[in-house]
Amino acid sequence: MKFKLKNIAIAMVATLALNSCSSDDEKITGEGDITLEFDNVFGSSNLILDTQTNTTSQGENLKISEVKYIVSNIVLTKEDGTTYTYPKSQSYFIVDETDEASQMIDLTNIPAGNYTKVKFGIGVDQEQFNLGAAGQGDFLTTAQNEGMMWSWSAGYKFVKFEGMFTSSTVTTDTEFMVHTGQTGTDYNYAEITLTLPEKAMIRTNITPDVHIFADVAKIIDGTNKVKLTDNNMGGMGAMIMGGTNLPLITANLQGMFTVNHVHND
Amino acid sequence: MKTKYYLLFLIFPLLISCSNDDYQNVPIDFKVPSNFPDLAYDFTNNPPTEKGFELGKKLFYDGRLASDGIVSCGFCHIQENAFTHHGHTVSHGVNNAAGTRNSPPIQNMAFQTAYMWDGATTHLDLQPIIPFTSPIEMNGNFSNAIAMMKNDAQYKKLFKQAFDGGEINSENMLKALGQFMALLVSSNSKFDKYRRNESGGTMTADELDGYAIFNQKCASCHATDLFTDNSFRNNGLAINPQVNDIGRFRVTQLESDKYKFKVPSLRNIEKTAPYMHDGRFYTLEAVLDHYSSGDVNTQNLDESLNNNGTLGIPLTQTEKAKIIAFLKTLTDNEFLTNPKFAEY
Repeated sequence: MKFKLKNIAIAMVATLALNSCSSDDEKITGEGDITLEFDNVFGSSNLILDTQTNTTSQGENLKISEVKYIVSNIVLTKEDGTTYTYPKSQSYFIVDETDEASQMIDLTNIPAGNYTKVKFGIGVDQEQFNLGAAGQGDFLTTAQNEGMMWSWSAGYKFVKFEGMFTSSTVTTDTEFMVHTGQTGTDYNYAEITLTLPEKAMIRTNITPDVHIFADVAKIIDGTNKVKLTDNNMGGMGAMIMGGTNLPLITANLQGMFTVNHVHND
Repeated sequence: MKTKYYLLFLIFPLLISCSNDDYQNVPIDFKVPSNFPDLAYDFTNNPPTEKGFELGKKLFYDGRLASDGIVSCGFCHIQENAFTHHGHTVSHGVNNAAGTRNSPPIQNMAFQTAYMWDGATTHLDLQPIIPFTSPIEMNGNFSNAIAMMKNDAQYKKLFKQAFDGGEINSENMLKALGQFMALLVSSNSKFDKYRRNESGGTMTADELDGYAIFNQKCASCHATDLFTDNSFRNNGLAINPQVNDIGRFRVTQLESDKYKFKVPSLRNIEKTAPYMHDGRFYTLEAVLDHYSSGDVNTQNLDESLNNNGTLGIPLTQTEKAKIIAFLKTLTDNEFLTNPKFAEY
């Protein structure tokens, strides 16, 4: 037994020695943190709620009052292609335009290294839904408090985008509400992968900040054009919460997020 | 004999309370009755235990979860009526708010693939979110409910005993309710005993005739020994213009789903009046009269109910009487009176 331990110890020392020979000058060890910052914008302007009028390519004028979405299942890719999946049970967040703290997603205890990609979901994945209550922790409570529970279907609102609009045919301020989530026909979860313009260098003493622009215009005005005017039911407002529009909006989310820059300090 | 068992029941809790407040992993073995279809619920994600079930039952009957402190799940789901709201066409929730649909039975849920009349949700654990949070049902709030339970000695103890870690949160609350509901199995009616060749399963000639007619005329939708094919169909009810319930369209927004509702199980049907999604029929006779002569050709009427323009299912008075005699063999008194499921 003693001999065995000794052998293992020798082998370990040897391996370490070999490793350090083959690695670059800099030896990266330990764990560090990273912040994903979700900065909501409309086109090329910062998003200002309620007072700012924003115009889409379809000629609709939006005064946005609320933007919330669920960010989930974060996976980071290192420069050598290996990935680190953030613990699933801690990987559900709600980004809220009115709450600055919610826009800074702090991820902790991540293996130090140079990361080149970040992947995340918008919404709660179907795998998690199929587990039922298992693994949800307090997230249902959080979602209900944030108005992100889709009560009528016992699920979540993945994206909530609300305000008032006008257009050439809708001349008075009219309400709009866009909610995505699971329907009877589509699951509507989106998975987004972003390549970082510069490496995020996670170290024990460096917490990179990945500054992501989220262009909320893209929700309805992306690859797919979903006109609020066409959904203004009898003048009562555009309520887009189901049907064929949701998969179109979910596809639009692919173009909503870009990484503007990374701070390594 | 009876008294002996009774004494055991009295002593047993004492013994348990002597032990401690730790997690008690006493699994409940779920057996699929031999005449039932396959399980739909995945028990590996939420394995039922004695204490999990007990906690689920306590939650089910606790009105404090509702905003008015009164309307519990059990308020509209009464055991002796197979967990329906007997005598109510539609049920009323907090502040006397009325819904638009009849509260369905809770039985054999672990074998179903979609819940609510329109199939709004597909997971049993998450289903309670709908009635719990609906402003016209319990109007509940998870934060408030959790705060209430964290200040309740019994809940504190039960959560610890039911779940490893014992956290009082929405996950464990829904898991416990899921365990309770999944274990509400009705499988010991006279019909079940007949199907399994057990004692007490002797059917009368009328009941057997009724079963044969049923198989010929009803079983294409009310399939398997659970009497549902889990599909959504329009059975030709006249549309109530005051409500204009569009059924499954609400969930899918497909024109082809308008006015479709879930095919309900018929177990304990004798005890679950009134019938249909809005409780419009008070008797089984009225239900069969609808199928024989009351069908209306509304959008998406089920093909099986439209035979080249002749609507409904041809049924004579004798056939109706025999079908009803058969349907009454689906009454499972063991389930309806089982003290394990009872509020008190």
